[in-house]
Amino acid sequence: MVSLFGVNFHEAKLVQKALQHFYALGPQTAVRIMAKHSIHPRAKIGTLSPKTVTALTAELSTMTIESDARKIIQDNIKRLRDMGTYRGRRHAMNLPVRGQRTRNQNMNAIKLNRIERKG
Amino acid sequence: MSATNCLRCLKRPSVAGASRGVVVPIFAPRSAPFSTTAVQNAMPGKPQKSMEHQDRSIRVYRAGKRMKIRKKDNVDRGKPPAPGERKAFRKKIVLSNDNALPVPWVTQMEAGSLSDPKQIGKIVSLPPALQDQLRATEAFQPTQTWGLFRKPSTLVRQESVDLMSKMEEAVENKKTARIVLTGEKISGKSTMLLQAQSHAYLNNWIVIHFPDAQELINGSTEYASIPGTENPTLYMQQNYCLKLLQSIKKANEKILAKLLSVSSHSELPQNITVNQPLLSLINAAKEADGAWSVFQALWNELNAQGANRPPILLSMDNLPHIMKISEYRSSAFEKIHAHDLALVKLFTDALSGNTRFPSGGAVIAATNRNNGPKIPSMELVLKQRLAEQNGETEGVPVKDPYFKGYDDRVEKVLKSVEVVEVSKIGKREARSLMEYWAASGLLRTTVDEQTVSEKWTLGGGGVLGEMERAALLTMKI
Repeated sequence: MVSLFGVNFHEAKLVQKALQHFYALGPQTAVRIMAKHSIHPRAKIGTLSPKTVTALTAELSTMTIESDARKIIQDNIKRLRDMGTYRGRRHAMNLPVRGQRTRNQNMNAIKLNRIERKG
Repeated sequence: MSATNCLRCLKRPSVAGASRGVVVPIFAPRSAPFSTTAVQNAMPGKPQKSMEHQDRSIRVYRAGKRMKIRKKDNVDRGKPPAPGERKAFRKKIVLSNDNALPVPWVTQMEAGSLSDPKQIGKIVSLPPALQDQLRATEAFQPTQTWGLFRKPSTLVRQESVDLMSKMEEAVENKKTARIVLTGEKISGKSTMLLQAQSHAYLNNWIVIHFPDAQELINGSTEYASIPGTENPTLYMQQNYCLKLLQSIKKANEKILAKLLSVSSHSELPQNITVNQPLLSLINAAKEADGAWSVFQALWNELNAQGANRPPILLSMDNLPHIMKISEYRSSAFEKIHAHDLALVKLFTDALSGNTRFPSGGAVIAATNRNNGPKIPSMELVLKQRLAEQNGETEGVPVKDPYFKGYDDRVEKVLKSVEVVEVSKIGKREARSLMEYWAASGLLRTTVDEQTVSEKWTLGGGGVLGEMERAALLTMKI
């Protein structure tokens, strides 16, 4: 197991997939981080040198990912709610925010939309 | 004409037939008062199957609003192959077949066999020591039909003799023959490369072979920028380098043990002084980290002037892959051109004539038609070179002024190479090859003019691989 930014990954995991595991770090950013550290596209995390892993962890710690990124989204929703907007209200009621119908097909909104949104 | 239904009682014929021999009990259960289905049709005593029991692998639950489908947990799928097992099977190379008959007239390949015009159209077998060397450099390919015959053997073609004589001529004049092999799909370009390597090994050359150019550029090996190189920054591939060094060592062990170093290399992981065998220099590369510097030191040693080095053969299969932009990215996220990878640069420098081997030698590259990328510049330059070699003045292809996909770097590398076209074989060569197949017990027909003509025509007019497909691979189990 290789520990990257406090998360343990299996050695056979692709570096790109391991990076994308973090919230708010998608394929584009992952590829750029890998290029910056000269990691080839098909590299597995087990083949990285400890030095590279430390460098990656240092790089990730400067980025807005995981709880920081979640906090931004939650703050945005909270602001809408505090202003008393329609969107904020819809978030609070776990209902679709952007004018979708609520008769059916609203399971995702019910599941995800809330003031303390998880991700 | 009688009606099919009994008109008086309006009973259905099936019901009538069923009730004919059976006495219907008065207390027979009736399903529903208005049902028109006969009670007899229902099979009493057999429980009805519910949907849940019909498919045991998938269970369907209906609870709440959503349907949940859960697969049954413990389905025995057998043991999956271990990591690397599938690839090993895919890349497995079988060089002999004990069930095939030995062919008495096949001679063993010698140092001069492939350059002797008298040998054209004859089959020669590869000596065991040579087989090991070729195996080490991955010259055999799993798609080739070595595994069908008793001993790995190859046909000496007109092109082989031409190629080997070019190599010999270059060594005599202490020059470097720079050759690109082109030709149709499965016409024998890789086999020609194998023959060139065999010739080199048997004549005590040093052989450095890149078995597949694709591996260098498709982003599957580690890379790092070489410190101190700028404009352009060069990149080393340490892991590939280590693998290459090991294959060089395995294939050229005898010669490298005799060659001595002419300068000391203190920068290497293991200090190498003057007059140490080059084999110990290669042995200094134990890990991928120092592999590039060891390779560079070895290359400088082999090219040292006035050190009485043997001729060098530098060869590469699947050339078009290194004529494009690689899958690697620089630290600024720019795509890296394949020619900026140090190993590729080493090869292209030799191919373009910038590097001169001290005792002469050859740089041979084979193009590929199967999964190779289309490189417009390469195709254009090779056609132009071929036309120039044939002395054609008319119909020489020119650049399309409206096309933007040309690459100057590719043109620069290829502008002075010699193009050898591996073409179709003649009927004489085809006949000797088919006689060999028949004597091995693989072709079960008499080899006469008609069968030779037939297979030769079926094989696209003498494309060797197609002939094999037409004659041999139809019976492959």
